Amino acid sequence: MNKILLIIQREYFSRVKKKSFIVMTFLTPLLIAGVYALIGFFAYKGIKDTHDKVAVVSTNKTLTEKLSANQNVAYVYIDKSLEQAKKDLSKANYDYILYLPEFSLAAPKGVELFGAKQPGMSLNRRISGDIEELIKTQKLKESGISQTDLDKLKTSVDISTKKIAETGKEEESSAGASTFIAFTAGVLMFMFIMMYGIQVMRGVIEEKTNRIIEVIVSSVKPFQLMMGKIVGIALVGLTQFMLWIVLTLAISTAAVSLFTNKEDIKEITASTQAQTQISGAEQVTSAAPQGPVADIQKSLAGLDVGKIIVVFLFFFLGGYLFYSALYAAIGSAVDSETETQQFMLPVMLPLLLGYALSLSVVTNDPYGSTAFWLSMIPFTSPIAMVVRIPYGVPGWELALSMAILAVGFVVTVWIAGRIYRVGILMYGKKTTFKEMFKWFTYKN
Amino acid sequence: MLSVKNIVKQYATHRALNDVSLEVEKGKIFGLLGPNGAGKTSLIRIITQITAPESGEVFFNGERLNANHISQIGYLPEERGLYKKMEIGEQVLYLSKLKGLNSAEATKRIKYWFEKLEMKDWWSKKVEDLSKGMQQKVQFVATILHQPELIILDEPFSGFDPVNADIIKNEILELNKNGATFIFSTHRMESVEELCDNIALINKSKKILDGAVDEIKNTYRNNAYWIEYEGDYETTSNDIYEVLQTEKVKNHTLVKLQLKPSRVANEALSQLLPHVNIHRLDEVIPTMNDIFIEKVKGQSHE
Repeated sequence: MNKILLIIQREYFSRVKKKSFIVMTFLTPLLIAGVYALIGFFAYKGIKDTHDKVAVVSTNKTLTEKLSANQNVAYVYIDKSLEQAKKDLSKANYDYILYLPEFSLAAPKGVELFGAKQPGMSLNRRISGDIEELIKTQKLKESGISQTDLDKLKTSVDISTKKIAETGKEEESSAGASTFIAFTAGVLMFMFIMMYGIQVMRGVIEEKTNRIIEVIVSSVKPFQLMMGKIVGIALVGLTQFMLWIVLTLAISTAAVSLFTNKEDIKEITASTQAQTQISGAEQVTSAAPQGPVADIQKSLAGLDVGKIIVVFLFFFLGGYLFYSALYAAIGSAVDSETETQQFMLPVMLPLLLGYALSLSVVTNDPYGSTAFWLSMIPFTSPIAMVVRIPYGVPGWELALSMAILAVGFVVTVWIAGRIYRVGILMYGKKTTFKEMFKWFTYKN
Repeated sequence: MLSVKNIVKQYATHRALNDVSLEVEKGKIFGLLGPNGAGKTSLIRIITQITAPESGEVFFNGERLNANHISQIGYLPEERGLYKKMEIGEQVLYLSKLKGLNSAEATKRIKYWFEKLEMKDWWSKKVEDLSKGMQQKVQFVATILHQPELIILDEPFSGFDPVNADIIKNEILELNKNGATFIFSTHRMESVEELCDNIALINKSKKILDGAVDEIKNTYRNNAYWIEYEGDYETTSNDIYEVLQTEKVKNHTLVKLQLKPSRVANEALSQLLPHVNIHRLDEVIPTMNDIFIEKVKGQSHE
């Protein structure tokens, strides 16, 4: 037992002390935060920029309703001829000129848009949509529907999703936030199992090609060496995971407070006011940058983050043990990393399949039978279960899946141990699956 | 101190050891000889408890081999190496802790040995900074650091330059004088004759010869002599001896004679004395190399 501890210690400290570990650990959260900051920055900049200023030159007498500025386009009616407006375009404070000629409401034709730059598809669609809406309103009015009736027709439905917990309590939830967390957890789980599983394999190959293995197994049992390595690397993974959580939280909290500071909001408000001069729009826009943040915060409150982290850790450890034992067996069977290809495929395949299905089928239908079975089979359950958990999983399913995974890793560790003890002393032969099976059946 | 009894080791289709038994006496240097693939490494792996035999038993100081004996055995495998990225001192410390030494004691001993073998400033070096011979020295220290009663060295001198090989040889002799028992696995016969008290020869999974080196050599003497003389005389086979070989260097003649059964060297000499001036007479004692080759070849012709 004491010897296993020594091995765990060596495996742990030799990795944690490495420069690459330190760099990875501190850089990754910065990178993640950086990516989010970038997304935030562009979203924020996007909101500011979508206000295309369009000057409207109308010679249309039929259309009595006027285009009003909305959150996407700021329309300003100018009292100039089209020729004059075109001439003034370069120095005027509008980007485009919309020309509305005389047309019949039944067949509106001849609408033109001029601009110093080529207007994008989305602007085109928006303006035509706005005009269509305007014509529709006018037609409705002409058929005798009053403005008040029209206003009554406008409704906005905002669905707030609530999940009824087993206790009967209603929890605020957001399908968006659940999906976001499910994706993140799924991707992280896949990455972790792969990364650390392969580290185990590399470690085994290193000892084998170094030829230090024979010295060590004359002091400790091969199984002790294998388990020591697996556990040591698991601790490295946990250390990294914990540091990532702490650092990411710290950095993103700092970033969020930076993004939602009051001056920014003021600035947005000021700029929108200048552009639209319509007070209604200002509220919508100034609320927008806060929207996603508030949303996530609100639904994070609804999700049981503690539970998600605990489940994640359990399935990380379980899934890692399950797969890393297989990786250790592969490492013991080969002489160099280039020979691992043929054995990697059958191990990678279920993991990849679990990953792909979890992020597509399971996120679409987290309670369906595919989701259920994927989260039971130990080859796929680590990823499938952490993807399902933010949507809520019945307690018995979770317990069953954990139990199956626990049994699963005991079995793979046992199988891997039997292959490993023979494989590490085999040199120079190209190993086949048949041979590995033979090793497995060797006595003692 | 070590008794190996009727060991059989079977791999899938290949029998690596077939009913091998041998005795290693305490305080002796024992040579385990055999051509490549004969089963030496398989036997050593059983003694070091890396693998277990299909049948047969090993006794260490009269006790059946068990996990407690691991700390009393030091093993330097033929294929040996060190961790590339780990400091030399740390590695030796780690390896000796795995053998059950505590940290303080191990550090003390490492310092002593590093000093003794002129490796003092190697502690924080990495394997990449050392030559192959230097690495071997480190491995040797790691093998003996826990002061094992039995030290098993598999091809210990391969990779050493003559100077370092000599240093290591002297350390082996000194450790041996202080009571350590050695098992040498090798096919380099010079070192066997120099160091070993007893040997066992394994070929094709079977032990084909064992005993004290002197005795084995004695049994392989075949009454042949080298005689060097001066004088113009042609030695020819007669009823006392048979001439196996004749060489002439200037006016000296060197002949190899094989005495006929129940004849002694004196008879050959008195036959020659009237004709020539005898300069030298040497008995032809077979080297371990000759015996090795004869036994192994003999078996392969069976």
